Amino acid sequence: MSNNNQPPKKRIIDVDIHESATYKDLFKYLENPYRRYIEDANWIQEKHMPYTQPSVAGVNRADAVVPDGRPAGSDLPFMQEQLLDDIGHEYGILTGALDPSPSSMHGWYEMATALASAYNDWQIENWLEKDERLYGSVHINAEDRDGAIREIERVGSHPKMVQILLPIDDKMWGDPYYHPIYGAAQKHDLMIGMHHNEPPIYFGKWPRYFIEWHSLLPTSHMMQVTNMIFNGVFEKFPKLKLMMIEGGFTFVPHLMWKLDQQYNDLRHEVPWIKRKPSEIMKEHVRFCTQPSEELNKKDFLSVIDQMGSDEMICFATDYPHWDFDSPHRSLPSLDPDLKKKIFSENARAFYPKLK
Amino acid sequence: MKQQTVCHVNDMQPGELRETELGRISIVVCKTPDGEFYAFTNKCIHQGGPLSKGKLCGAPQSDNPGEYTFCQDGEILRCPWHGREFNVKDDGRMLANPKHKLPSFPVKIEDDYVIVYK
Repeated sequence: MSNNNQPPKKRIIDVDIHESATYKDLFKYLENPYRRYIEDANWIQEKHMPYTQPSVAGVNRADAVVPDGRPAGSDLPFMQEQLLDDIGHEYGILTGALDPSPSSMHGWYEMATALASAYNDWQIENWLEKDERLYGSVHINAEDRDGAIREIERVGSHPKMVQILLPIDDKMWGDPYYHPIYGAAQKHDLMIGMHHNEPPIYFGKWPRYFIEWHSLLPTSHMMQVTNMIFNGVFEKFPKLKLMMIEGGFTFVPHLMWKLDQQYNDLRHEVPWIKRKPSEIMKEHVRFCTQPSEELNKKDFLSVIDQMGSDEMICFATDYPHWDFDSPHRSLPSLDPDLKKKIFSENARAFYPKLK
Repeated sequence: MKQQTVCHVNDMQPGELRETELGRISIVVCKTPDGEFYAFTNKCIHQGGPLSKGKLCGAPQSDNPGEYTFCQDGEILRCPWHGREFNVKDDGRMLANPKHKLPSFPVKIEDDYVIVYK
């Protein structure tokens, strides 16, 4: 443990920081034959997006490339200098960079499960155990449910693993297929983290332009929240909670109104739901501020007012990605109590492993 | 009048950005392909991204969906974070919303040295 001798300048719990690994970084943690499959063929993962990239340095902030040329997010000292120490984070939660992603291995389940294990070991040794401010996410291959549960049992009790990242694939998250994973999550005090994965739609098509894809990120969040609520996941797993990462939050009032109205009309189809969906959301689901629309104070407070809760949103930078939100500039000036909740206390209350 | 000598006019290539300080203000100096120099605040007016780490590039323009024309190569300052585009030849105005512009600083050339001042 190191680099936390100074008291935090700003009490920030940043719930979305992307650390980045190359396949080479994972070799040490990857058993054969899986390591040899990559090494012998000098395999470099395909890029999935059908676009060039949005900004002047791909999906990353141009100033976040490590000075020696390694990819943004791949070096702890540089991340400490540019983010954790500079802004003065209290805690940061690592969410991976989706590449190498076990979910991208399609049907090669055993390979994907091995990659997820290697990734988790790499994350623990190189990040979580080297900076006491950093907490992590368990990566799993959700398409191999038994393998995923074995992985959750293997690393889920690590004191710095706070959530499981689920991929968006061809099944929505309320599907009974995933329920045993939720049982394992609940057992280890792990929340479920949703970070958008590639196409924002679960049937896997892309819109024509990147600007459309990026604008539509909240739609995938709306689908998964709706699906989990009406499939009774939070009735079945009352301790389970869901962190919706990188979808913003301004759509939340609409979703609450819509689901409540639908429940009033169509309750008979989902009789296991005993509470208003908006109440389930208030108790079980949290949303990130990033990516933030440019709201003035009046508009921002109006969204909070429409949610009927100031405990549902948590601050995220999304460092080192191009749509990074600055803790100093992305939100309007807010009253101290509300600011404290958004910047740290809501996340602290959400993740039981954060002290 | 505060002023700062940045470099010799030939030290910067057309299309290059350079960071300099004017007192306590961080400044980004741009050299456009025609050899002119421009200076702006080095913090993006959106969230404060360091513009000197961005790019001096061009701007695709079009009046018809699916058609592109590439214009103003080397005259558009693009933020390294959110990619906002500012036209250095038009007083630092933002392309997507010309009501907004970067604060700019005068540049003079004396004895082939580039000097920013305010």
